[in-house]
Amino acid sequence: MTSDSTDAAATPAVVVQLTDVRKEYGDSVALDNVSLRIRAGEAVAVMGPSGSGKSTLLNMVAGLDRPVSGSVVVHGEDLGALSERGLALFRRRRIGMIFQFFNLLDDLPALDNVALAAQLTGVPAAQARRRAAELFDELGIADRADNYPAVLSGGERQRVAVARALMNRPTILLADEPTGALDSRAGEQVMDLLLDLNQIGQTLLLVTHDQRLAERCASRVVEFADGRIVGERDMESVR
Amino acid sequence: MSAVWTVTRATLRRRKAQALVIGLVLTISSATVALAAGLLVASSAPFEHAFAQQNGAHLTVNFDGTKVTDTELAATAQNPAVTAAAGPYAEAALNFSTPDMPELSAALHLVVVGRATPDGAVDRLTLDDGRWANGPGEIVVDGPLALGTTLNAPGLAPLTVVGHATSVTESANAWVTPEQMAALHPTGTEMLYRLRDAATSDQVSAGLRATTSGLPGDAVLGSQSYLAVRDSVQGRLTAFVPFLVAFGVLGLVVGIMIVINVVSGAVVSGFRHIGVLRGLGFTTTQVVAIYLLMISVPAVIGSVVGTIAGGALSAPLLTSAFASLGGTVTTPPWIEFVTVVGMPAIVGVAAIVPALRTRRVSTVEALSAGSAPRRGRVSTVQRRLSGTRLRRSVSLGLGLPFVRPGRSLLTMASVVLGVTAVTFAIGLTSSLTRFQAADPQHHVEGTQVTVVAGVDGRPPASGRTDEQIESLLRSLPHTRQVITEGSIALNTVGDTRRVILDAFRGPPSLLGYQIVQGRWYTSPQEVVISSRFLHEHQMKLGDSAVLAANGEQRRVVVVGEVMTGGADEIYGDWATLRALTPATAVPVDAYHVFLVDGTDIAAYVNEAHALDPDLRRGYTPSTGSFNAIVIGFAALFTLLLSVVTALGVFNTVILDTRERRRDLGMLKSIGMTPGQVTTMMVTSMAALGFLGGLLGVPLGIVTHRLVMPLVSQAGHIDVPPSLMDVWGVPTLALPALAGTAIAALGAFLPARRAAYLSIAEVLHGE
Repeated sequence: MTSDSTDAAATPAVVVQLTDVRKEYGDSVALDNVSLRIRAGEAVAVMGPSGSGKSTLLNMVAGLDRPVSGSVVVHGEDLGALSERGLALFRRRRIGMIFQFFNLLDDLPALDNVALAAQLTGVPAAQARRRAAELFDELGIADRADNYPAVLSGGERQRVAVARALMNRPTILLADEPTGALDSRAGEQVMDLLLDLNQIGQTLLLVTHDQRLAERCASRVVEFADGRIVGERDMESVR
Repeated sequence: MSAVWTVTRATLRRRKAQALVIGLVLTISSATVALAAGLLVASSAPFEHAFAQQNGAHLTVNFDGTKVTDTELAATAQNPAVTAAAGPYAEAALNFSTPDMPELSAALHLVVVGRATPDGAVDRLTLDDGRWANGPGEIVVDGPLALGTTLNAPGLAPLTVVGHATSVTESANAWVTPEQMAALHPTGTEMLYRLRDAATSDQVSAGLRATTSGLPGDAVLGSQSYLAVRDSVQGRLTAFVPFLVAFGVLGLVVGIMIVINVVSGAVVSGFRHIGVLRGLGFTTTQVVAIYLLMISVPAVIGSVVGTIAGGALSAPLLTSAFASLGGTVTTPPWIEFVTVVGMPAIVGVAAIVPALRTRRVSTVEALSAGSAPRRGRVSTVQRRLSGTRLRRSVSLGLGLPFVRPGRSLLTMASVVLGVTAVTFAIGLTSSLTRFQAADPQHHVEGTQVTVVAGVDGRPPASGRTDEQIESLLRSLPHTRQVITEGSIALNTVGDTRRVILDAFRGPPSLLGYQIVQGRWYTSPQEVVISSRFLHEHQMKLGDSAVLAANGEQRRVVVVGEVMTGGADEIYGDWATLRALTPATAVPVDAYHVFLVDGTDIAAYVNEAHALDPDLRRGYTPSTGSFNAIVIGFAALFTLLLSVVTALGVFNTVILDTRERRRDLGMLKSIGMTPGQVTTMMVTSMAALGFLGGLLGVPLGIVTHRLVMPLVSQAGHIDVPPSLMDVWGVPTLALPALAGTAIAALGAFLPARRAAYLSIAEVLHGE
């Protein structure tokens, strides 16, 4: 009994649990009975060729898409049981997303783009901006807070996107090709940022083609092909 | 199949919602335009159309049958001044009562003519309902009596109404077979003529002299020129025109603006698609052709369907509006042709301007379009809004209209016009309702009843005098006040026109007449005149006139003007009436009884009837047909304009959703709920609707203030301020909120669709 308790304390909790998840788009199978567990604090990189099902997996975890069979449980919540509104509230509380093309609102200054995530939860504008400003400080883009996305560099935009993803202190950070649209220098900066976040305990799920990103940031690499997991590598042991 | 047509079909299949919106907008706009144009054209000369259709009589002459034979009258048709004639028809003026409508009492005075058929060379009657009289005991009437109604006249066998017919020249208001007419004891003979020259009054008078020149001097009892009938009919119908013009213009402008908005939006939102096509090798001309075709297909279908619907709607509406002229009123076919060709032409112009713009845009630029425009003035607005205390979904929605200011302005402008139409319709309806309430003929307050005495114009069988009847009514429980009304026809010295003096025993101010200027009479030397009397006799307050009847004369001064009443009506004191009438023949029309609140009127009338069987409830005319028709038109136009405006908003939200799908996806990815997305999109349009309401309400009030006087002037009526000041908080709040409601309703469905947009592909497919 004591031993079990000790084990439970030593082993981080499972924050993402996919069980036999299947997803089809017409005749095409995007995910074929995929099962995967991610524990708190892990940084998991999903790699594979285009069309292998990587992004679909990310959508499942974010609650942006629903499987045709199987279950997705994130932080104890079965996403299949949630309504559209429930999924939206779940994303607010648990998920931070970073996209290849940043997906910032062009109409808002960088700081307001970030504050928006908190404002949607009902946080007053001033308080949301204070929290956003702290994140801008931490991410080294405080001087760009009042700039609009159109005048920011790719790396800066992605940092703003990271700040927005962190705004509501998510359980897990999902990143879809976060360096895919960046030059190598900006890519390096984003990699460093993600690594730093993981080192302070942020759980990460990355989808990437970038071998270097996976090697630097991920503690585990999951290989995908034709909608199935075809291999896993423990990067800690490689290092 | 050409590549252009292949791509056009594919684009249409992919943009079904947009094609549907274009089709629907064109359907409703074309219906509105066809209806409005049809009404305008038909109301321009309705009498002339009906007169030509029915070969109306230029001249109707009534002869004394004892002074001239039918053979002599038939011979007048050969006069060179006459091109066609009908008659001689025997005629009689009779007072009827009917057990089916006891409330009519002696009110049914009909001029009955014996005619074998409704057809003929002149005055072809339109048989509106039922059939022609073809045997004894049958009668055809021009009026509201239901088919099957039995009509009784003293000493005559009952007649049954078998049909409804109309004569454009008002040659009679009831017809029976010639054989039946003989049994009705005709008092005269009617001849109807079409004259070679009848353009002016002098020519018609000359025609009368020519046709009657060989007849005894006293054979003619009376005559009627079609010009007098035309003036009377035109006076009634021209009141329609100003409000028809107002609604017609509003309908045209709203329809065209929505079409421009919808069509140009469809092209602008297709810029990215245009880039892809050019990247594939389509020439700019081919791309323009694809977009014109894509828009023209639903536009043409919508125009054809809408024009047919508008034509189908206008026929019954026009027929009811101009029912007094008889027959079916149709619109000329050129209106449908112009609508079917014109609306797609407007669509073409609306589409070609933005389509040609694509010629100046490089393929790369076009390909990069399709997402929200880059920062500009919208950024400042959004930034300011983000700092407010509003919910973020609301503040984001409020900023959206600034993303596409041109589109937003067009959408708002159409909402403004929609609200203007709603406001105008509310104002018009309120004014007409007040006008109706101000007309004592329609005064149907719960505590007032009009009682009449006697049948067929005879005094009551009980032999009671009017004073005794008034006393009897006053003695009944629940009676608060009785005002006795009587009238006589008289002349004013120096004027050949006959005048009706309506006199009241009791305070006339209780009767509901609306004083436009001046005051009620306070002595037998004072009278009040109707607006129409004032205008047609060109009088003013303070003028005096000498009234003459039965060898008596009385000078009176005009001290007031009331809004309603005929062009021959003046109102005076009972003493004035008595002074001009022999004591034994005071003509009492009605007793207006004011009852204690809550009195059962039917029980009261029954009680009076039990005391004197000749006491009956007076006839209360139904709601004025003019008002009912105007209110009906107003409601129809308002509905059409509201729907087309909502469709315009619907389209704007569809376009906004398509253009901002990436932003919507991102917002959902960071936790925006479907409810918040809906709120944001609906707010963006509701804000425009609210502004549209604020602008549309004053415009509607201005339209009301401009049109109402035109309507009243056309009817020769002065409108008191109380009929114009119809605006209160409820009547203003309703149209102001209508803008928001129309916009919110139009936005709701596409907003809900956006709320459940599948965002996974949008976010990852850039």
